[in-house]
Amino acid sequence: MRMSAQVVSLWMAAVFGVILLVAFLLFPGFFPPMPPDMTAQQVAGFYARHQAMIRLSMVTVNFCGIMLVPFFMVIVYQMKRMATPTQVLAYAYLSAAVSGATLLALADLFWLVAAFRPERDPQLTQLLNDLAWITFTMPVGMIIAQMACLALAIRLDDQPRPVFPRWVAAFNIAVAVAVAPSAFAAVFHDGPLAWNGAVSFWLRACACVLYVAVMLAVVWRAVRRQQHDGVEGAAA
Amino acid sequence: MTAAPAGRRLTDLWTCWWVFPPFYTLFGIIFVPLTRVMPPPSPAKITAQVVGFFHAHALTIQIGFGILMVAIGFGSVVNGLVAYQIRRMTAGSVFCYAYLATLAVGAIPGCLFCAFSFLAATFRPDRDPHLIALCYDMGLLTFVGSLGCFATQYLIFAIAIFCDRNKVFPAWLAYVSVWQVVTELVAAPVFIFKGGPFAWNGAISFWEGTALFGVYIACLIMASRKAVERQQRGEVTAG
Repeated sequence: MRMSAQVVSLWMAAVFGVILLVAFLLFPGFFPPMPPDMTAQQVAGFYARHQAMIRLSMVTVNFCGIMLVPFFMVIVYQMKRMATPTQVLAYAYLSAAVSGATLLALADLFWLVAAFRPERDPQLTQLLNDLAWITFTMPVGMIIAQMACLALAIRLDDQPRPVFPRWVAAFNIAVAVAVAPSAFAAVFHDGPLAWNGAVSFWLRACACVLYVAVMLAVVWRAVRRQQHDGVEGAAA
Repeated sequence: MTAAPAGRRLTDLWTCWWVFPPFYTLFGIIFVPLTRVMPPPSPAKITAQVVGFFHAHALTIQIGFGILMVAIGFGSVVNGLVAYQIRRMTAGSVFCYAYLATLAVGAIPGCLFCAFSFLAATFRPDRDPHLIALCYDMGLLTFVGSLGCFATQYLIFAIAIFCDRNKVFPAWLAYVSVWQVVTELVAAPVFIFKGGPFAWNGAISFWEGTALFGVYIACLIMASRKAVERQQRGEVTAG
C-alpha cells in the first residue's frame, strides 16, 4: 500500500494497539480485576506493593491510548465517503470518539495519581481508585453512539460497492450491546455487573479488543480498495 | 457539501433529529427526579447533611447516572446534527468543527464528572465524610460551573447564525444563543458564594440560567426540525 495519512494512521493503531494491549496485560489491577469490596487498607497496600508495575503499565497506556485516535478519524473519513443522504453521522461519530478517548486518558491519570504516593491516607487512595474504575468502566455511551452511527451509516450507504460490507453494521451493534451493561457497574459491589465482573470487565474488555482488531482489518481493506480505485485524496 | 439526491429520504438527519427530544427529556429525568442534581442541593450543607443527602438518594443517583453513562453518547448525535446544519451556513466548516470540538470537551467536565463524583460518593456510604463532602463539591461545581466550553459553543453558534446568508436557522435563534453566553457568565460566581442568588443553587446562577436553557433547547429542537423539513423539500441553498 502507498503511504498516506490513512495508512500511517492504520499502522499507528496496529503498533500502538499491540503495545496498549501488552500494557493492559501487565497492569496488576486487571489480573484479576481489583474487587470493589477491597478495604481502604487493602487498596493502599495494593498500590504500595505494585507501585512500579502500575506506573510502567499506566504510563504506557497514557502514552499509547490516544495514538489510536487517528484510526477513528480514518473511520470518520471513510464514513464521509459513503453514499449516505448527508454526512451528519460522521460528525456525530467524531464528537463521540473525541469524548470517549478523553475518558480513557482521565481514568489512566486517576490510577497514576493513586500510585504516586501510596503512603497517603488510605481513604484518599481508595477514592482515587474508585474514580479510576468508575471512569474506566462505566461511560460506555460514547463508544455505543459511535457504533450506532457507524452501523446506520453502513445501512444507508446506497451504492453497488459499499465502503464497508453490510455485516460490519451488525457487528457494531453486537459489540455495542455487549458493552452496554457496564454502565451500571457502580450499583454493584459483586456479581457479573460489578466493575470486576464477568460482564462489566471480561465481556467488555474482550469485546473492545475484538472490536479494534476486526475494525482495523475492515478499514484496512476499504483503504486498500480506495487506493486501488485511485480515489484516495479526493474530496470527502 | 452535497444536497440530497432528488427525492431521497434524509433518513440520517431524521434519525438524528428524533434522538433530540428524547435525549433532553431523559436528561431532565436523570438530573431532576433521579440524581437530584437539579435543582441543586445547597452548597451551605454541613458535612453530616451532605452524607445524609447521598444516603437518602443513593439508589436513584446510581440508577440515574447509570442511564446517563449510555445516554450521554446520544448527546454527540445531537451535536452532530447541529454541527451539520452549521456546515451548511455561510460560515461553513470552521464553526462546524469548532462547535463539535467545544461540546466534545464540554461533555466531560460539564456533565460526566458530576456523575463520577456522585457515584464515587454513593458507592461507599462508609467513606470518610469529608471525602463524601469533597465529591459533593466536585460534582456540583463541575456541573454548574463548567462555563467556557458551553459559552464558546453558544458564541460561535450565534455568530454563525448572524453571518449566515443561507437562512438555515432563523436569526432570532442567535439572540437566544447569545443569552446563553450571558447565563454562563453570571454562573461564574458559583465558585465563590455558598448562599444567595449567585450560589450554585441561586436564583441567578442556577434558576435563571436553567430556565433560559430550557427555552434555548426547545427553540433549537424546533428550528432543527424546520431546517431538516426544508432540506427534505429540496429548498436547499448550497452551503
